[in-house]
Amino acid sequence: MARAGLRKALAGWAGFGILMCLLPLVVSTGTLRIFIFANFLAMFAMSWDILSGRTGYISFGHPFLIGIAGYTTAMLTYHLDVSLMLSIPAAVIAAMLAGTLFFVPALRTRGTYFALVTLAFMELLYGLTQVVQPKLTGGTRGLSGLPAVVSGAVPNYYLSFLVMFVIGISLWLIVRTRIGTALSAIRMDEDAVKSTGLNTTKLKLFAFMVSAAVAGVAGALYVHYLGSIAPRGIFEVNFLFTILVAALLGGAETIIGPIIGAYFLTFLLEFLRPYIPGTGRYFIYGLVALVLYYYAPKGLYGILAALLGRLKPDRPGT
Amino acid sequence: MTALLEARNLFKRFGGLAAVKHLSLHVDPGEALGLIGPNGAGKTTIFNLIMDELKPDSGEILFRDVDITRKPTHERVKQGIVRTYQVPRPFADMTVAANIRVGMMPDDLGSMMRHGPDLAREREIGLSVGFGDRELAMYPGELSMGDLRRLELARNLAADPKLLLLDEVFAGLTVAEIGQISDLLVAHKKQGLTYIIVSHDLRSLAPLVDRVIAISFGETIAEGSFSEVIENEAVQKAYLGN
Repeated sequence: MARAGLRKALAGWAGFGILMCLLPLVVSTGTLRIFIFANFLAMFAMSWDILSGRTGYISFGHPFLIGIAGYTTAMLTYHLDVSLMLSIPAAVIAAMLAGTLFFVPALRTRGTYFALVTLAFMELLYGLTQVVQPKLTGGTRGLSGLPAVVSGAVPNYYLSFLVMFVIGISLWLIVRTRIGTALSAIRMDEDAVKSTGLNTTKLKLFAFMVSAAVAGVAGALYVHYLGSIAPRGIFEVNFLFTILVAALLGGAETIIGPIIGAYFLTFLLEFLRPYIPGTGRYFIYGLVALVLYYYAPKGLYGILAALLGRLKPDRPGT
Repeated sequence: MTALLEARNLFKRFGGLAAVKHLSLHVDPGEALGLIGPNGAGKTTIFNLIMDELKPDSGEILFRDVDITRKPTHERVKQGIVRTYQVPRPFADMTVAANIRVGMMPDDLGSMMRHGPDLAREREIGLSVGFGDRELAMYPGELSMGDLRRLELARNLAADPKLLLLDEVFAGLTVAEIGQISDLLVAHKKQGLTYIIVSHDLRSLAPLVDRVIAISFGETIAEGSFSEVIENEAVQKAYLGN
């Protein structure tokens, strides 16, 4: 039964992949650019989900990991003319090192305290990038004129989608294994997991490293897509909340949910743009998020899965 | 015969209160040891110390003659010591079967990723504690207290224990449920399982133990067969006051 479920789900992934690959044939360049942002947001949200949605260690500092990767590749390419082939892997490694830094408080704190400590990490980096060595980081203005990986809307769309797709399917396959079950169990009762003989430190470190690696890949590519990086764009509460809302709205702990959430949220914001310019839009999305959490705490994924009558096969418990 | 588990001179203080005072105990392989005492005597604290859920201020714990005093919880579990909790702690958003699955997991990320769960073994463990296929697919929130205690036992048995620490496994159960759990313990004891059981339900405890230790204010006050300990004057005083 499990195999049939897997085959069906993989067919779903394949269908999604093919559909999205055909997209540039039918939509305008402008719409494609919105999709590019949605793809990046999906990567950030999945990175958050594998750590926070799974293990319950709620990170309010994901922009810290993204920022470390972004600044690493930005500074390497801007100052030293390092090739992207080297600077992006370096950025991923830097993000993973930052992830271990992130992991230290997780050994001692849980819940709200962990969230606040990670938030402090983000704020710290916000300050540091502006005042320490502004020559290197570009200070408040940041760095611009960064090289692009590919140019044009269509190539950028394919790049962002394919990376997002590969990350999505990999994470989804990982959480389907017993590791996913064990990480979920940590969210429910970490001490009880220890008392089944599992080293929760090892399991959490795994989740942190995977999350940091995904944040690193996505952060580095994002910065080169934008061609610039500045502290305000990244270490900002709005950016943090967009990631969180995308993951929660779509359905945390599911990997697929954050993708749905990211697409939904990006297009919601775009749709609202002509009516409510400026940051007033965030008020509307907050409202939508509130209504959804209240009536559908499992997110859009939960609604879709219930509609398709296949909620159970993807939950950790079956 | 060397003891399976030996605690030497354990001492644990919480602020001004010494919960466990220079307490020593041992349990032999295949033995069933009862731990009794009034509320607050330190019984659960002893379990917490044995599992490294609390660190002793002084004293040593040996398992199969190896000092495990500094080993973390999961290492102790891997060696074969597992416990139940007074208030059952199931993984709430997982089915009964998945709860058992977590208990069976090897502590090895590679193996967890490469190999799927052993569904047949999962079911076998579930059936052994009296669950049917219907219960295996249920969530803990849908279970009675008796079922929750059985689930915890199943999760413990999944870890292939050598020594089981049972903390008030009869609390909140009906007479029938107590009977089921007792039968289960007797059956596993016959197969060589060693256990230490804490219970306030002395009547249910009596047939399940080979030896009893009575504790009051963190100290051993009597030790011997069930009837000897129950008859002991200090024990009666501790339970009933003067």
